[in-house]
Amino acid sequence: MELERTEAVPAVPSVGIPAGRRTFLRWLLGFSVFSTLAMVATPVLGFLVPPKSTSNQAGGRVLAGTTADVPVGSGKVVAMGSTPVIVTNTAQGFHAFSAVCTHLGCIVAFDSTLGQIGCPCHGGVFNASTGAVVSGPPPAPLKPVTVVVEKDQIFLVNS
Amino acid sequence: MAGRDEVLGATTAPHSAVGAKPADTWLERRTGLGALSGALLHVRIPIESRTWYLGGLTLFLFGLQIATGTLLALYYKPTPDGAYDSVKFITSGVTFGWLIRSIHHWGANLMIICMVLHVVRIFWQGAYKHRREVLWLVGAGLLVVTIGFGFTGYLLPWDQRAFWATTVGTEIAGSVPVVGDSLLNLLRGGADVTEATLSRFFGMHVLVLPLLLAALLAVHLTIVHHLGLANPKKAEPNGPEPGGKLKPFFPNYVLDEVIAWYAVLAILVILASVLPAGLEDKANALETPPHIKPEWYFLFLYELLKMVPRLVGIVLPGIALGVLALLPFLDRNPEVRPRKRPIALGIGLLTLAAIAVLTVMGAG
Repeated sequence: MELERTEAVPAVPSVGIPAGRRTFLRWLLGFSVFSTLAMVATPVLGFLVPPKSTSNQAGGRVLAGTTADVPVGSGKVVAMGSTPVIVTNTAQGFHAFSAVCTHLGCIVAFDSTLGQIGCPCHGGVFNASTGAVVSGPPPAPLKPVTVVVEKDQIFLVNS
Repeated sequence: MAGRDEVLGATTAPHSAVGAKPADTWLERRTGLGALSGALLHVRIPIESRTWYLGGLTLFLFGLQIATGTLLALYYKPTPDGAYDSVKFITSGVTFGWLIRSIHHWGANLMIICMVLHVVRIFWQGAYKHRREVLWLVGAGLLVVTIGFGFTGYLLPWDQRAFWATTVGTEIAGSVPVVGDSLLNLLRGGADVTEATLSRFFGMHVLVLPLLLAALLAVHLTIVHHLGLANPKKAEPNGPEPGGKLKPFFPNYVLDEVIAWYAVLAILVILASVLPAGLEDKANALETPPHIKPEWYFLFLYELLKMVPRLVGIVLPGIALGVLALLPFLDRNPEVRPRKRPIALGIGLLTLAAIAVLTVMGAG
């Protein structure tokens, strides 16, 4: 009979299988399922983690331009490796800061009307000489970058 | 219907946790998912059915292809400049990249094998006959789409083998009478295999074909669910439901199927580890390497094209595919038992033998 056949498969305790064996089989099944998941998850998670790329940050000094490129009361965004840096020229001399806004990562630019560094996204304003927050939502000042001027050449020093 | 439910109810009653009466739980009252899964987990399986799990294995491998393909797409760049280097990077730079790529490579091959064996099984058991004509027709569509996957995916690594196999393959398509030139232009996105071809093949491989396959598969599985499995010993009557003893789909059949999936997964991991997917030199449109050959499942076509005029070599397989798709409408013998169908089986076996011989010759 078909009915008998199918009843034998789910192995109800009354059929005579000891509870210990049943528990053991359940444990074994759970172990199989768990190890399968682990076996699948390990390569998938490993694959998803991006491999460390060789740093495309330029080491040492980077030529940012000449002093003629950045007259007093202006600023210019240049690339130091893959990092954008803003070089400003104020009454206090040349300064350089990371051009990544500390608010949400937009690239800041020199605002010539304000004479300050402004962020186009949410209106954050930074001091062009110190990088300090003047107004707007940025929570922290811009990270300073060491700038060296030799003759008419502006160098950025990658720390 | 009543008769069917009765039989199924009897056979699955002892373990119908997900069966006829879903528990009146918080989730069930809000979603009805238990009732749905309960209905889905009933497939009519005559005790005489023998599937060797080939259709289910093809389905499993397709799922695996989706998973590994999605992972590969996270690093793959579909441009001539980026493709080769990104595949190289996946293989040697990404953690377990070689494994994911090799499983995708071998999974594609095993999927073709399982699908062909599935077709042979259906043919042998006469399971394409009465009431299953549409199921067979949709299956033929799945066959064509799956071969399309193989054809489009082959180009993506953009190495010499990929480039020249695609050049030859699209050239064959270009020999089709009347529409050949337009077909060639459509496939390549121009006169030659270029970055336009790569974009097209990538788009086909990751968007068009998966959607097409998923749609056909949904229809295929819905029909299987509706009809149940075929009885290889008895032709299906015209009446509402054939009688006979049944085997529970869940958990019995599902459990067997999952064991088969485990076995194939093990085979895949072994193949991927022992024979990982390789990569030849980067594609060079100015230099055809010697001994360029297509994937093994196109070898019979490749060999046939060497033997007969190009037109015959194109038209003949086309007709064969048409006959295969329309088989239920051409073979009107209602008998399903192999020894009562000598002519159909004779033609089928001869065709298979010819394909096998041509494949071996093509490989040699």
